[in-house]
Amino acid sequence: MSITHHLDASTLMAFAAGTLDEAYALVVSTHLAVCPQCRAEVDDMSAIGGALLESETAAPVSDGALDRLLAAADQAPEDELAQPPAPQDLRVPAPLARHVPQGLDKVAWRFRGPGVSTAELPLGPNAKSRLVLLKVAGGRRVPEHGHGGQEITLILQGAYTDRFGRFGIGDVADLDEDVEHQPVAEPGEACICLVALDSRLTFRGRLMNVIQPLIGL
Amino acid sequence: MYAVAMSDAIAGPVAGADDASTLLTRIAEIRDKDALAALFRLYGPRIKSMMLKLGADNALAEDLTQETLLTVWRKAHLYTPERGAPSTWMFTIARNLRIDHIRRQSNQPYADIEGLEIASESDSSHMQAERRQVVERVSEALETLSPEQREVVHLSFVQDIAHAEIAERLGIPLGTVKSRLRLAYERLRPVLGDLR
Repeated sequence: MSITHHLDASTLMAFAAGTLDEAYALVVSTHLAVCPQCRAEVDDMSAIGGALLESETAAPVSDGALDRLLAAADQAPEDELAQPPAPQDLRVPAPLARHVPQGLDKVAWRFRGPGVSTAELPLGPNAKSRLVLLKVAGGRRVPEHGHGGQEITLILQGAYTDRFGRFGIGDVADLDEDVEHQPVAEPGEACICLVALDSRLTFRGRLMNVIQPLIGL
Repeated sequence: MYAVAMSDAIAGPVAGADDASTLLTRIAEIRDKDALAALFRLYGPRIKSMMLKLGADNALAEDLTQETLLTVWRKAHLYTPERGAPSTWMFTIARNLRIDHIRRQSNQPYADIEGLEIASESDSSHMQAERRQVVERVSEALETLSPEQREVVHLSFVQDIAHAEIAERLGIPLGTVKSRLRLAYERLRPVLGDLR
C-alpha cells in the first residue's frame, strides 16, 4: 500500500488531544492502522499532552485513594497483549472490524442511484457525527458536492480521482466545509470508501436536498 | 518549569521522567506495588487536576485517576519508550478512558491502535536516558509559540474543546483555528521529531 494522501496536521492534533467526535476518530484510527507516517506524527503530538500533564498542578486526592488503588491492583490481572481477531476481510483494517464484522460484502447496502450505494454504520448514543460506507461503481461519477462540515474519506477498495489527484487504498481525503469536489471512480472494481461527516448538518441548502437523497450523504 | 512541576509532588523522593520509566519497569517486571504507589503520588494529583479542567466533577476525576493508574498497572509491560515519555503514555491512557466514559457504549475507536507496534521494537536504554529531558523540551517549545497558537493548543489539549467550538468561542473562522494548529505543530515539530 503506498499512501500519498494523508490527514491534515490539524486533524491529527485534534485526534491526539482527544477532541474528535466518534466517526471522525474512527476514520482517523483506521487510517492510522495502515499509515506509519501519520501514526508517528500522532505519537509526537501526544507528547504535547504528556508535557502538559507534567506541568499540571497537583489537585488534592481523597485520603483513601491510594489504598483503594492498591486494593484494586490486587484484583487486576496483567493484561495479555490483545490478539487482534483474525481478519474476516482484508479490506477492513482492525479498528473498523467491529463495525463491519461480516466484511464489506455482507454490509446492508442501500441503493442510492445508478452505481451508488451506501450503508450507515452504528455509533454510540452521544455521537454527533455519522459513519457511512459509500460504494461507487467503477467509472461512475459522484455528483459535485460541497461539505456542510469537515468530511474525512478513507479508501478501502478501488480508487477515485478528483481535482486533488488520485485516491487509492489507504489514502484519506480530509476536506473542509468550503471544499467542493467531484470524485470519479476508476474503471474496474467499485470504489468503497469510509466516510465521517457531521450529523448536525444533514441538509445543506436546496442543492444538497436534491443531491443527498441521491448519494445518501 | 519542570523543576516547579516536580516540587508539586505530594510525597516521596524527588523523581523525574527517567524515574517514572524506572517505576514502570519495576511494575512490568516484578509487579512492584511500591512502584505503583510512587507513580500514583507523582502523577495521580496531576491527572486528577487535568480531569477537573476537562470538566469532570470531583468524584469522576477521582475515578478516572484511579482507572488510569490501574490501567498503567495492568499494561505496564506494554509500555515502550519508543512511543513516548511515560507522561505521554499516561496522558493517552487518561485521554482514552475519559473518551470512553463520555461515549459510554461507544466502540472505543481509540483503543484499537494501542499496541500496534509493540512487538516490532525493543527497548533501548540509551533512548530512555535521552527521554529524561523530552518533556522539559516540549514544555519549553510550547512557551515559544505565539499567544494565539498556544491558546488553541491549550483549548484542544487541556480543555477538550473541538475546533468548531474554539472558533465560535474566540470569534475567529474555523480555518484560522486549523491554521494556527498547523503552525503550532510546525513550530513544535523539530522538538517532537527528536523524540524518536
